[in-house]
Amino acid sequence: MPIPTPNKGRLFDARVVANELVSGEIHRIVLEVGELARMLRAGQFVNVAVPGQPRQLTRIPLSFTQTDDDAGTIELVYALIGPGTAQLSRVEAGSTLSVLGPLGNGWRIPEDATRALLVAGGTGTVPIFAAALACAAAGIAADVVVGARTKDLLWGIDELKARVSGEIITSTDDGSAGEKGFASVPALELLAKRDYDLVLVCGPEPLMKAVSARAIEGGVPCEVSLERTMACGFGACSTCAVKTVRGMKGACMDGPVFDASEVVFP
Amino acid sequence: MSASLAVNLGGIPMKNPLNTASGTFGFGWQFEGFYDVSCLGAITTKGCAAEPWDGNDQPRMADVYGGMINSVGLQNPGVRGLVAQCGDYLQGLRDHDCAVICQVAGHSVDEYVAAVELFEELAPFASGLEINISCPNIACGGIAMGSTPAGAAEVIRAVRPRTTRPLLVKMAPARVGEIARALEAEGADALTLINSIPGMAIDVHTRRSKLSKPTGGLSGPLCHPIAVRMVWEAAQAVSIPLCGVGGVQTGEDVAEFILAGATAVSIGSQNLFEPDCAPRILAELEAWVEEQGVRDINDLRGALVC
Repeated sequence: MPIPTPNKGRLFDARVVANELVSGEIHRIVLEVGELARMLRAGQFVNVAVPGQPRQLTRIPLSFTQTDDDAGTIELVYALIGPGTAQLSRVEAGSTLSVLGPLGNGWRIPEDATRALLVAGGTGTVPIFAAALACAAAGIAADVVVGARTKDLLWGIDELKARVSGEIITSTDDGSAGEKGFASVPALELLAKRDYDLVLVCGPEPLMKAVSARAIEGGVPCEVSLERTMACGFGACSTCAVKTVRGMKGACMDGPVFDASEVVFP
Repeated sequence: MSASLAVNLGGIPMKNPLNTASGTFGFGWQFEGFYDVSCLGAITTKGCAAEPWDGNDQPRMADVYGGMINSVGLQNPGVRGLVAQCGDYLQGLRDHDCAVICQVAGHSVDEYVAAVELFEELAPFASGLEINISCPNIACGGIAMGSTPAGAAEVIRAVRPRTTRPLLVKMAPARVGEIARALEAEGADALTLINSIPGMAIDVHTRRSKLSKPTGGLSGPLCHPIAVRMVWEAAQAVSIPLCGVGGVQTGEDVAEFILAGATAVSIGSQNLFEPDCAPRILAELEAWVEEQGVRDINDLRGALVC
């Protein structure tokens, strides 16, 4: 039977290797799931089932920071935002979780890009982290702006500095670390100061809207990764809709990464 | 020899009673890769109107205790879009002995009629049409029309002459006995119940709805006992076949609907939580029929002891 858009996602049993607090309300979980680790591309996501929490029957969509093909592991970083993520944080190493993936399209990073600007706000840091590593692997210099509400919610900065060729700038809303204010301020300054041939943004919609508008004005290709509540992750439920200039799309199958010029921001 | 699971849902032959609830199953093809969808007795596709609908604003879903709440608002590609995107796939399902029930959406009687006429013209793969008069998430029509016997009857009276295919009606979770009787009188061939239950979920920190609208539709295991009771009430009221929908997680949940009087049973939100659940539920249902010692699942329909 002809299938319009084959669904790439498959169900995997993943063994929990580690599940620990990073900082503040940020946790990381490392899953051993070799086949999936080798399939995932930067900017894609997985949906994790959390057993034993009747307030969280849907799977939780989570982005990954990095995969290790040799160890067959993936690292997911998540914030505690409700009963589902709280339950996930209590899962012990050695347990098995049902993981659905790979989901979504991932970042499209042109091989001939020379210098990229990556901008992250809050949990948007997770897919931006993966994008930064992908740029490093492709030999693309990347300046990375990471913003968070407060110092405790900034993480991964030292690792980015060690692994990425480019400037790493941090900001916090309360000024407790890095520049005081939203990530959009240093991001727009960098856009004005340097020549980029790629801009990737993930974070609150006002941040994505502001940075992508300026990139588009300057003729720089810009992609945004959109966050939506979703029930399935594979195109069945229509909850994660995104309004685009080409009509309604789904964040799960058509995204989460969109060409910023196609997204109709509210 | 194993027992026969074949049933007939108002003129739609099904090799087993398992169907899928519209809105939780896309257009079927999304589940290929998890399992062979043609193992189901039928699928019911996402409601489609004559013209495409954009649906409601974000956010459209939230998790709640025992299920979820949604306000998708019947986003759909229109009948022409459905046929262009997956008409060949749906015909393939028919060819593999899986019935294809196409749900029909509309804001008004005229829109339902227009959509039914388009399905008649463009969708030879449709085994039957399910008229959704009970979506809790569309502003005009929808649940308002399906929430009274007169309103429900008006829609079916208008669309009944436009199709010779089996006509099903997706019913709201309210006044099911009297509405079922009105729909049967207008010539509905089968009734599907229940649609999601109107509910609310509020973020108390922001004091806003967790959806873009104040209310949405509840689905998931929390709905199951309510849905079983409503199927049982409808079964007392009418003689046309019923398709039970609401919170099915296991084969025993399907069995409850059958004992309450359902001919077929749809899997809903569980498709989203556990995308490969259908073959498991089918195996559990088969085991129950065997355990009951009957040769034909039809012998168990309405067999509640009371």
